[in-house]
Amino acid sequence: MLFNSLHFLIFLPLVIGLYYLLPQRFRWIFIFLASCYFYMAFVPKYILILFLIIAIDYVSGLAIEKASGTRRKLFLWLSLSSNILLLAFFKYFNFLNVNVADLLSLFGTEFHPVNLSIILPIGLSFHTFQSMSYTIEVYRGKQQAEKHLGYFANYVLFFPQMVAGPIERYENLGTELKVEHHPVYKNFSDGFRLVLFGLFVKMTIADNIAPYVNEVYKQPWTYSALEVWVAVFLFSFQIYADFYGYSTIALGCARLLGIKIMDNFKTPYLSRSISEFWSRWHISLSTWFRDYLYITLGGNRVKLPRWSLNIMIVFMVSGLWHGANWTFVVWGALHGLVSLAERYFNMIVKIEKTESLSFWNVLLTVKTFVITSLIWIFFRAENFANAKDMIKALLFNYHLAGKGVNYIPALVFSLALIVTDVYVYNSRIDVRLGFLKTPYRWAVYAVLIFGLFVLSGTQKFAFIYFQF
Amino acid sequence: MLKKVLIRFLWVGLIILSLDVVYTHTLYPKDLEEKSKEVVEIWNSQDSADIYYFGESSNTTYRETDSLKNRISEFTNWFYPSLRITNINKFATHGGVYRQWLKVIDTKKKLPHAIIITLNLRSFNAGWIHSNLETQLQEAMVFTQPFPNIVNRFFLSLQAFDNKTDKQREEDMLRDYRTVPLVFPYPFPFKTVSEWDSHMAAGGYLKPDGSWDMDKIVLACHFIKGYGFNIRQNNPRIADFDAIYDWCSKFQVNLYLNLLAENVQYADSLVGKDLVFLMKQNRDFLVKRYQKGNCKVIDNLEVVPGREFIDLEWTTEHYACKGRMTIAKNISDTLKKQFNNKYKKAY
Repeated sequence: MLFNSLHFLIFLPLVIGLYYLLPQRFRWIFIFLASCYFYMAFVPKYILILFLIIAIDYVSGLAIEKASGTRRKLFLWLSLSSNILLLAFFKYFNFLNVNVADLLSLFGTEFHPVNLSIILPIGLSFHTFQSMSYTIEVYRGKQQAEKHLGYFANYVLFFPQMVAGPIERYENLGTELKVEHHPVYKNFSDGFRLVLFGLFVKMTIADNIAPYVNEVYKQPWTYSALEVWVAVFLFSFQIYADFYGYSTIALGCARLLGIKIMDNFKTPYLSRSISEFWSRWHISLSTWFRDYLYITLGGNRVKLPRWSLNIMIVFMVSGLWHGANWTFVVWGALHGLVSLAERYFNMIVKIEKTESLSFWNVLLTVKTFVITSLIWIFFRAENFANAKDMIKALLFNYHLAGKGVNYIPALVFSLALIVTDVYVYNSRIDVRLGFLKTPYRWAVYAVLIFGLFVLSGTQKFAFIYFQF
Repeated sequence: MLKKVLIRFLWVGLIILSLDVVYTHTLYPKDLEEKSKEVVEIWNSQDSADIYYFGESSNTTYRETDSLKNRISEFTNWFYPSLRITNINKFATHGGVYRQWLKVIDTKKKLPHAIIITLNLRSFNAGWIHSNLETQLQEAMVFTQPFPNIVNRFFLSLQAFDNKTDKQREEDMLRDYRTVPLVFPYPFPFKTVSEWDSHMAAGGYLKPDGSWDMDKIVLACHFIKGYGFNIRQNNPRIADFDAIYDWCSKFQVNLYLNLLAENVQYADSLVGKDLVFLMKQNRDFLVKRYQKGNCKVIDNLEVVPGREFIDLEWTTEHYACKGRMTIAKNISDTLKKQFNNKYKKAY
C-alpha cells in the first residue's frame, strides 16, 4: 500500500482507532494483521518471503543466545547467509549471472545466463538488513533474544517503516512495540504534523519535480546544458523530498500509534562535507553500515591505507545495496573517494570548525551540494551510457537552445524545501511547529493543506526507495 | 482529549472548506480545462444547446479525400438548422463516460430537449472495457465526483480512480477472452473468444502461393475479438446505459441512442456468419432493452456499406463522407417525431 493513496488514508485512521480500542494483550496481533494487510496490497505472495526471514532470524536469535563458542558464530553465519542468499536471489541473481558471463567471455568461455523474470519484493533490502541487525546484536550480546514470535514478527513487519525504513534496531523498535501506549494528545498532534508535512514533501515537492527530471534523463542530448544542470540539481531535491517525505510519514504514523522510531534525515543538504552528509542522509542505513561493516572491518583503528580501503568498501557495498547495477557501485565509490579526499585534506589543512553561519560554511555547504548532485547522476541514470549522455550534455550542450521546458515551478518547490531545511536545521518539523504560536502554526497547516490538496503532482510516482 | 482532537479535526475541515473557495476561484478552472475540458464545454453550452450529441472518434474522423469533412453531428444539424446541436466529443469514450457527462448537466438550469448518445457495439467487448485508454478516461472523470472541488483535486493527486496499470488491464482482458463463454443457439465449435481466435490464427488464410496471409489472419482475429461476445446483464456498459436511461427518464429529456454502423459485410467475408449472428444478436438485445419510454435506439448497424469504412486493416467505426451522411440522415429521420416542425430536408 502506498502512503500517497486513498487506500492508505482510509487504512491509517482505522488502524489507529482500533489499536487504541483494543486491550494491550491483543495489540500485537492487530499490528501484525494490519502490517500483513499493508504489505499484501503490493504483491500478496511476497509476504511469504517476509515470514521466511522472520522464521530464520527468530530461530537464529534463540539459537545464538543458547549456544556458546564456535556454535554461536555458526548460527550467526547461518542466519546472515540465509538473509543474504534471499536478497541475492531476488535482487542480484540476474546481475551476478550477466557479470559472470561477461567475465567468462574475457577468457573465451561462453556462458548463457538464465534471466529470472521476477519482480523484486518491495523493501526486501530494508527487511533483511533490519532483521540481520537483530541477530548480530544478539550475537554481540547487546540484545536478548526475543522469545515471543509475535513481537519479533512485528519488529520486521511494522507497517510504517517496513518497506523503506528507517532500518530500526530491535533495542528501540522491539521495546516500543511491547510497551502499552495510551492515546496522548501530543502524539496525535506530532503525528498529524509529520504525516501532513511528509505527504506535502512527497506529493507536492517530489512529484512536481519528477516529470521534469524524468524527461531530461530520457533524452539528455536534446536539452541545453542549462536545462541539464537544472535537472541534475532538481534530482537532488526530488530524491530527497521523496525519501524524506516517506520517512517523515513513517515517523508520523508510528507516532500516532505512540511508537517512536528514529529520524532518518537531518537536513542533509546543509552539510559542509560528504562525511557530514552521510551523518544526515539515510541515517539508519549509514549507522547500520558503520556498526556492522565498517567497525567489523576494523574501522579507523587500523593503518591509513587499510582505513581508506575500509571506507571505500563500505561506500561501494552501500552503493550495491541500493541496486543491482554497476552505476550504484560507482555512485558509492565516488562518495567514498570524495569522502577520503576531504579527510586527507582536513589532515593536512587544519581549519577550525564552527557551527555559525559564516561565509566559509555557506561555501562548503554549496560545494557539498554540488558534488552530491553530480554524483547523483550515476544513481539516477539507467546505465553508464545514460550517465555519459548526461555528463556530455552538461559539459557540451551550451550551443543548444534547449526545449524551453518550464522548470521554474520545480525550482520554486525546491527552494521551499531549502527554506524548510534552514528552518528546521538540527531539529524536526513537528518540534519546530510546536514552538510556533497557535495562529502561526495553523497558518502553516493551511499552507501545507493547500499545497497538498491543490498543488500536488497529478502524476503519481512510487517512492523511489521502494525499489530497494 | 478526544474532545480536543475532534475540535482540531473540525478546524482542519473548516480550513479545507475555506481553501475550497479559494481554489474554486483561482486554479480550478485551469485544472478543469486541462483534465476535463468536455465538462467545461457542457457547462458553457448548457444555455444554448437544444440537443447534445455525445460522441467519440466516429463523429469526427474523416477520409482525407472526403469532399465534405463535416461531423455526423454537423450533418444532423443540417436537417434542423433552427436547433443547436452541441457536440461533446472525446476519443475512445463509452457509456461510462457519457454517464458522467450527464451528471455534469445542471438540472436546475435549462435542460436540452434531447440527447443523442453514441452506442458503439464494440464498447461492450472485453478489449474496450479493459482498454489501457481507460485510465486516462477515468482520470478525466475525477472532477465530476460529488465532492468539493478541492477534494476532487486531491483525489486526482492520489490517483483515486480506476487506475489499473496497463499490465493489469491486459491480464483482465485476456482473462475475459479465455473464460467468458460464447453462447449460440446452435452448436458452435469454440467455447470462448480465445479458442475461436486461436483457431483463426492457426489456420485462417493462405495466399495463392501457399504461405499464410498474415494480414488477413490478423484482421480476422481483430474482428473475432471485436465482435465475438454476447452482451449480458452484467456487462458494465449495460449499467452505464441503464443509468443514462434513468437520468433521461427522470428529467424527461428524450434520449436517442445512436447505434453505430459496423462493417458487417467485411465481418461476414472474413470470419463468417457466426460472427454476424453475434453482432445482430447484440444489436437486438440493445434495441429491445432501450427502445422504450422516451428513449429511441437508432439502428445503424448495417446501413453503411463496407467501402465507406475508412480503416480496412482494423476494426473501427470511422466512416467516409457518405457513411457519416447516411448515419446523420438516419438520426435526423428519427428526430423528426420530436422536432417535425423544425425539420428541413438537407440532402
